[in-house]
Amino acid sequence: MIERWALVSGLKGDLDTYELIQKDLKKTPGNITLFVLGDMIGPEKNCNRLLHRLINPKSNDLQPWCIYGWWEEQILLESGYRGDQRAEALRINKGEEVVNSLTNAVDKSFLDWIAALQFGFVELDCGLIHGSSKDVGENLTLDTPPLTLLDRLTRLQVNRLFTARSKQQFHLELTEGIVNSEVEDLNGNRKKEQKVPQKAVIGIGAGKNYTLYDVGTDNTQFVQAGYKTEKKIKGFGRL
Amino acid sequence: MNQAVISCLHANLPAVEAVLKDIELQGITNITCLGDLVGYGPQPNEVIELIRDKEIPTCQGCWDEDVVDGLDACDCSYPSQLAEKRGHFAHKWTTDKLTTENKDYLANLPYSIRKDKCLFVHGSPNSQHEYLLPDMDAFAALERVENARAEILFCGHTHQPYIRELADGLIAVKIKNAVPKDTQEKEIQLPMRRIVNAGSVGEPRHGGTKATYVVHNDVTNEVKIREVEYDIELTCKAIIDAGLPPIFAWRLKNGFEFAEQAEDASHVCER
Repeated sequence: MIERWALVSGLKGDLDTYELIQKDLKKTPGNITLFVLGDMIGPEKNCNRLLHRLINPKSNDLQPWCIYGWWEEQILLESGYRGDQRAEALRINKGEEVVNSLTNAVDKSFLDWIAALQFGFVELDCGLIHGSSKDVGENLTLDTPPLTLLDRLTRLQVNRLFTARSKQQFHLELTEGIVNSEVEDLNGNRKKEQKVPQKAVIGIGAGKNYTLYDVGTDNTQFVQAGYKTEKKIKGFGRL
Repeated sequence: MNQAVISCLHANLPAVEAVLKDIELQGITNITCLGDLVGYGPQPNEVIELIRDKEIPTCQGCWDEDVVDGLDACDCSYPSQLAEKRGHFAHKWTTDKLTTENKDYLANLPYSIRKDKCLFVHGSPNSQHEYLLPDMDAFAALERVENARAEILFCGHTHQPYIRELADGLIAVKIKNAVPKDTQEKEIQLPMRRIVNAGSVGEPRHGGTKATYVVHNDVTNEVKIREVEYDIELTCKAIIDAGLPPIFAWRLKNGFEFAEQAEDASHVCER
């Protein structure tokens, strides 16, 4: 049986989209594990029905494995789950109204569940996170310097990093890396050539746009919920 | 022009005085300090006041930050509960000894200092608590310098002086399934960058007993590690007289400090 991961993010309270994805996945061949990489909540709509469904899946639902995203971090900050800090970045950038909309969109009874979510998963040699291994709010895209991408992979000690924050869908391989290091200290000099094996950063999309990952072949498929599976065919500078 | 970079003074006045004398004898007037003026040692006020009197530009170190903000490093900073207990004792002792004026001075130190192509930090551009060890992953090390928009990164914190040059770097990338083909692959040449660790004036951990610092020539870009002898017995006696843990004196006298070195020094404290 083919082992596949379905990687979803940015639902932001949209239960209809989640149900569409669940429906898609029922028709997708293979043994599928569903990961929801954060931003289950947002300020635009009431999120309680989606949160209830994620916590209490229907009997024929794929069990969702969830981590927290940037919007979950904001509500935890604003609700006092991060000490004295509040959601100041959100407040400054989007205003008090959006902060209020967010806190009104999520019933307080869900906050403990959100607070218990992990920052990310490490499965096989893959890291599954919302932003980056440095920050839940960091956007990784095709335009992110490769040295930064390599650092974010190194921090988690993984070969593939699945990220959602940018909302983009891409599969960027770092096919080769080499750097010469020379260290001089009080014991003398030592030189070393460091190489890195092939690694990849995969943007999984958001909302209706999600990603299927074939664990055995390392292939990604970028999918829109409700439509047939299609491969993303874009190069540098076109996303 | 030569500039001297000193770090991790750790309230060891005889060591600081000896290093400043060595710098003066070389005719160097441009000095930068990378923090940790206090902690472990017996003369925190005296060392701060010496640095202030000489108007030496200084970054805030992790001890300087902790003394001001309260202990916020996680347990990973220490290799054992005993070492942690000693560290906490030294923290409290230092906090009690410092004058309000000197605490204010530490509180207002900058995290980093930039001079043209040089960036000066205590630990790394990310955190005062991050150790940039000499053999850390070369790409990660290069990322620290490059993302800080520096050509040379001066740091301390590890108490081990070194000069690391990262050169001839390249990363090749490819977009899977990309079309047209001419947009699917590219190679990025990485710039040559250097990390210079100034070691420690007041608590060396390089296997010797001498204080260390570095001298950088901004014309030739040459960097030299300097070792300076100082009156260790004087500091050791002051540690004992102050009631600080005797092991602090023992390790200064014996030239190593592994008793307080974290097992995973690359770990960054989550605070």
